[in-house]
Parts: sequence; structure tokens; C-alpha cells
Amino acid sequence: MARWQLPRNDSWHAMLASKAVSPAGVKILRWIGMRSSSSRRIVLPLLLAGLLLLAWQLLMTFHKVNPIVLPGPGAVFDSLRQNLPFLSVQGYYTVQTSLVALLISSAIGISAGIILIISRRLKDAVFPNIVFFELIPKIALAPLFVIWFGTGIELRIAFAVFLSVFPVLLATMAGLTATDPSVLRLCRALNASVLQTFFLVRLPYAAPFIFSGIKVGSTMAMIGVVIAEFLTGNTGLGYMIMFAATNLETSLMLSSILLLCIFGMALFWGVEFVERLLAKKYEAPVA
Amino acid sequence: MPEASLSAPASRPRTCSKISAVLLPLLSALVWILAWQFAVWWFSISPVLAPAPSQVISILFSAEIHNLASHGLYTGLEATAGFILALVLGLGLALTISRYGWLRDMIYPYLIGFQVVPKLALAPLFVLWFGIGLTSRVAFASFICFFPIVIAGIAGLCSISPSIIQMCRSVGASEAQILYQVRLPSAIRYIFAGMKIAATMSIIGVVIAEFISADKGLGYLILFASSNANTPIVVTSIVLLCVIGLLLYGSVAIAEKRFLARYAG
Amino acid sequence: MNKATEVQKLKADESTAMRATGFNQSGEARELAVPDYINIVGVRKVYNPGPAEVEAVSSVSLRITSGDFVSIIGPSGCGKSSLLMMVAGLENPTEGTITISGRPVLKPSDKTGVMFQDSTLLPWKTALENVLFPIVIQRRMSALFNERAIQLLNAVGLGKFIDTRPAELSGGMKQRVAICRALIQDPSLLLMDEPFSALDAISRDDLGELLLNLWQKTHKTALFVTHSIREAVFLSDRVIVMAPRPSRIIADVKIPFGRPRNTAVQETAEYAKLCANLRAQIGSQHA
Repeated sequence: MARWQLPRNDSWHAMLASKAVSPAGVKILRWIGMRSSSSRRIVLPLLLAGLLLLAWQLLMTFHKVNPIVLPGPGAVFDSLRQNLPFLSVQGYYTVQTSLVALLISSAIGISAGIILIISRRLKDAVFPNIVFFELIPKIALAPLFVIWFGTGIELRIAFAVFLSVFPVLLATMAGLTATDPSVLRLCRALNASVLQTFFLVRLPYAAPFIFSGIKVGSTMAMIGVVIAEFLTGNTGLGYMIMFAATNLETSLMLSSILLLCIFGMALFWGVEFVERLLAKKYEAPVA
Repeated sequence: MPEASLSAPASRPRTCSKISAVLLPLLSALVWILAWQFAVWWFSISPVLAPAPSQVISILFSAEIHNLASHGLYTGLEATAGFILALVLGLGLALTISRYGWLRDMIYPYLIGFQVVPKLALAPLFVLWFGIGLTSRVAFASFICFFPIVIAGIAGLCSISPSIIQMCRSVGASEAQILYQVRLPSAIRYIFAGMKIAATMSIIGVVIAEFISADKGLGYLILFASSNANTPIVVTSIVLLCVIGLLLYGSVAIAEKRFLARYAG
Repeated sequence: MNKATEVQKLKADESTAMRATGFNQSGEARELAVPDYINIVGVRKVYNPGPAEVEAVSSVSLRITSGDFVSIIGPSGCGKSSLLMMVAGLENPTEGTITISGRPVLKPSDKTGVMFQDSTLLPWKTALENVLFPIVIQRRMSALFNERAIQLLNAVGLGKFIDTRPAELSGGMKQRVAICRALIQDPSLLLMDEPFSALDAISRDDLGELLLNLWQKTHKTALFVTHSIREAVFLSDRVIVMAPRPSRIIADVKIPFGRPRNTAVQETAEYAKLCANLRAQIGSQHA
């Protein structure tokens, strides 16, 4: 992020000189008011988390909130500790399904993107359909998928693939057309063949785009699996969340949700990790 | 798309490409609908599996439409309310955050973190907290819309080059003046991009919330009809959902054109 | 009062003001120049105090007479821009004082007009609106100022571009708008930080001439930071040479050419000698 706050007038020295604030005080005030530093970027979010937890606990202690609506942090923590092994297994199912769906949709999305870019005619024929498809609120089609695929794992994978293939496809297409025109001109000057230009130049340039598409796709795939589990599941974290909700076991529900968020982030960062690995190996630009 | 293929680019007149940008999707949609109709007829596909477009159209023009429309109105209102709430809260937070650097350092990691989390899966939480009434669905929709708007707002408000800020300081502008005279106009483009994403997301949020807890609305109708294997209604509802989504998105797009015309730059 | 009489009154006010400050009708300065108009005493500027500190200005003392056009030249890192920012009130010195007309400079004043290397025009406002921006900020908007803005834009040759947006203006035109903006409040001091550095050579020369013509009509005090020795010698009454590490003034040369000046002076032998002399002064620091 670019620095967007300019150095302000140096009134700290005026403050020190006037002895209105002690040197230590000035130092603390200065650290708060200073331009963003890396230490500040770590401490402040942690401070916020701490404050929120504190507020939560205080609310529970002093306000007598219905524990079904909002259990205290202690209760949630206990539930988490108790159910962690079981929930992890459920989480594993969800993540595994999401991962499989993501791999399938990445493969489809990338290949389809490549094909559509290579063949202009196909692109002209198919792209308007894609644009049209983007307008459909795809998640609302979940019950339709239940009709088509039943309630087993095929449903979850099919729905998750359906949701995650479009970000990958669009990102691939965007990436392949975003090559620096002067580099393409160089390739023409060197009489590089179309395929050479494609695999040696366009694809590496497109890599950051493709990966950002896959990252979005990973979130969408997980959402697809979880929504499918909401509607018709007997395993997975989505199912656990609904189960806990219908049985009014709020602590369990909150623990499941927390675990789901963690797994979601892990999947996202897993993709990021792969991206950096590949970038290092091929010295390609990382987004 | 420029340089869309590896073959030599064919030159096309500008107006032609603008018209084709709208016509082609419509034409292709038409082609698909006709192909679908044909396939259903040719393969004798059961209406439970895939209803023919003719069936969908007949439902749209029958008495059913009143029922569907009322559900649609309900969903549309929930989505709009959620969107507007998210707009107000999101822009407010973006303005506050861009003013105070320490607040931004504090909150921004969570905003980014939430983008990575499967937010739509948090719907049951909102049902738990807000009950099964309209509030939970509006709250969830605004939760979903909130993040694109805030992030776009922050990106826009901080996208001003430091030299322009310095120039403003040199003519004696106060922080508030810098915010309203300079940061906001330059952020408009970003904010509208975020609003467009939010508009599409709000419909989805409402539908998911209706899946798990509603007795009205298109999401509920889709679920109910599918459990009765009434696929024609399901597909018709989905079509209606698309229309509502287009309306919301279209309103934002029109507003964007108006604002940009005034603040072009 | 209709517009025409307003404009007449404005012109009458202007000439009265000019006479009162020591200029006759044709704008030539009478002997009312103040020798200590700008007084810079023992100024030192340090950024990021602490382990990562950068000393931008080491020790500078300088007195500038009102009505003078003074250039500051020197290689990168010699602190000339920092010095200018401090005179503008956008930064405060770590040590030392800067006073203008006896009053210390603490924050930007509306009696000082500033120009930057980047024209910093607001992209969504027209040229006229950009020129009036300081007035809008000071909440002093009136028909008079509107009229003056149009006059200024005409004086710099942008009469036909009053309602154009910056995106449609060239770099040189944008800087002309910036000049008008700096002059709109009729400041007594004009500060310019390499205003023409980002322009091509021809625009640079044109704008230099334009600046000179404008300045020679009103004889404001001007402080002009630049890399270009030629430009400095051509425009100024006095050239200050700064050197980096430590940042200080190493030479203070009076330019003997009379006023009004035109480009012909650049062909004289004395001009070349002056430039060579200054170049040698700067070069001697690169040992």
C-alpha cells in the first residue's frame, strides 16, 4: 500500500519544548500519530481483537444475555476444545471436497480460457454466453443442482465446480490478454511462432491473474460445498453448523463457524503458497 | 477486449462493437433458449429435470405470476435494504478509516481477512442472532455487501497522489476540506465499482438467508418448489431472480454514469 | 455593481495597491525593497528522528530581499526542496527559524503561492475551477476572483481552455494552469519546486519566458528551485548553490544582467561564463 499520509508539521518538538507533555508521553503519542509502521500494523489489530474479546466477556458478565443467542467466550472456547477432534474431521471432509472441486474447476477454467483466447471465433461465439451466465445469481441454483445430482458428494463437487469455474475462466482470459504490448512486439520482431509466444510469454505474464482467479475460486468452491451441506448434508462443517443451529447448541455452532473461517483462510493461503512456490521456481512476476 | 486473439486483429468500427456488446449476449441467449427448447422436445426431457422455456414463459404469463411477483418483491426489497444499509455503513467506515491512519492499521487486516473467509456460510449465525424474520436477511445481505464497499472506498480515498495532498495543504486546506473536495471525488470511480459487486452479492445473500430460514421470498420459493420437484417454478423463480439482480445492478450502473459525467476525471 | 464596473474597480484597486507597495504604474520596483524579507537562520531539518534518520538540511542561513527572484540549484539530495517546503510552511525546521516579514513561518499562508513539479491539478475540475481551488478552500469565492482567474488564464495563453479538463491539456499547459493557481490570491511570495523539470525542453524554455514576463510585471519575491543552471541564471537576480552531505550553501552568486531580460541574454559570453562558473562550483563537490 502506498503511503498515503504525508509527514505532518513537526509539532512534537514544540510539545516537548513547552513541557506540557512528558517525553515518554510524546513518544507514545508520536507512535500512534506516526505514519504506519510495521510494528503498528501488528499491534493494533491484536489490540482490537483483545478489546473485542474483553467487551464480549463484559457483556456476558454484566448484561445476562441469553446463552442460546450469545454464549460467553469461555463457553465457546470450551466447546471448541471439547469438539476439536470431531470438528476437524468434519472440516477435513469439507476442505477435501472443496479442494477436489477447486482442482477440477481450475483445470476446466484454465483450459477453457486458453482455448477461447487462441481461437477468436470460438471466443466470439461463446464469450457472450459467459457474460450472460455471469448475471445469474449462481448460488440460487443450489436446489436445482439437488434435483439434478441428488444429495451425495456428486452434488457438492458439481455445485462447487459450477461456482468456482467462472472466476478462474475470466481471470485466465483477462491475464492472457494483458501481456505487455511492447513485449509482444518484440516477439513479432524475433519471428517467434504463435505457440512460442503463447507459452513462453503470454502464459507467464498471465500467471498472477490466473492465480488471483484461483484464489477467488477457492473461496467460491468452499462456499458451494458448505451451502450444499446446509441443504442436504450429513457430513462436513456446513452440516455441523446447521445441526448445531437446529439443536440450539450455539457454542458448537460458533466453534464450527470459527473452524470454517480458519479452514477457508488456510485454503486461500494454500493457493497463495503454491503461487509463490511457482513464482520462485520460474521467476515469474507475483501479483 | 483489445488484442483478444493471436491472429492479426481485425479492425472494427467503434459503434459496431458497442452494439454487438449488447446484442451478442442477447442473441446468444436467444440461441441457447431455442436450443434448450429443441433439446427438451427432441429428447423428451421430463419437466422435473429441465423444464422447457415454453413452460417457463407460460408460467410467467399465467395467474401464478402474482404469487411469484409478491415473492420477488419481498426478496427485492430485502436485497435493496441490505444494499443501502451496507452502502451507508461501508462508506461511513471508509471515510473514518481513511482519516485516521491508526484506525486503518487496526481494522484493515480484518477487512481483508473477511474477504478470504466463506462469508456466505455465516448465514446461520445471522439467523441465530436476528431471528427468522426480515431483519436477519437484511442484516446478512448488508454484511455481505459491506466488505466490497468498504474496501473499494478505502482504495479510492487513499488513491490520491501525495503531491496533490501536498498542494492542498499549501493552499491552506483543512483535513475535512481535503476529504470532501479531493478524496471523495477521486474515490467515486472505485466506490461505484465496489457498489456494483455489492449489488450482485446482496441478492445472493438474501437468497441464501431465505434458503435456511424463510417462509416468503424467491429463495424460499426455490427451495420449497424443489422439494416438491416442481422444477418449472424453480426455474421461473431463478429467472425472476436474474431480473431483480439486473434491476439492482442496472440502477447502480445508471447512477454511476450520472456521477461520472459530473465528476469525470 | 455590474460586472464591467467590478472589473474596473479591481484594476483600479490593483494599481493603487501596486503604488502603495512601491511599484510605479509600469511595474518597476522603487527602492522600497526589504532586505530581510525572508530570513532563514541556522535551519536544520531531520526526517524520521531515531535510527533511520535522514538529515535533509544541515545548516542553512539565508536572507532574501523582497522583490528578488532567487534560484536555488544543486544536485539531488542537497536539501533544496526541503528548504523550500520549510519556507512554504509545509514542513517545520528541526532547528533554527524562518521568518517572512518578521513573522515566523508555522503553516502555509495565503500570501505564499506554491508550485510543484507535478502540476497537481484536480482531474475532475476544469482549468478555471482548478485556478479557483485555493479561493474555494479559503471560502472567499466571489465574482471578482472568477474574473481574475479568467484574466490570469488569458495572460498565460489558455483563454480558449478555460473549461477544459486536465486530461486534455499538455504538460506545459497544465503547469500554466498551476502558475495561475499560484497567482490567484496575488501572493507576495512565489515558491516553485522544480516546476518545469517534468516538461520537454521546448516547453521548459517557453514556460521560463512566460514566468519571467509575468514576474517582471509585478516583481513579487520568488524562490525557484531547479536542477538547471541555465534556467537559474536566465531567470534570477541571485543564484544560491547548495551541496549535499552535509546539505549546506556553498555559493551565493549575484546575476549581473539587468531587467527586463529576454532570451537574447542567453547568447552572451558573460552568460556562458556564469554558467560554467556555477557548474564548476557544483562539480567541485563531487570529488
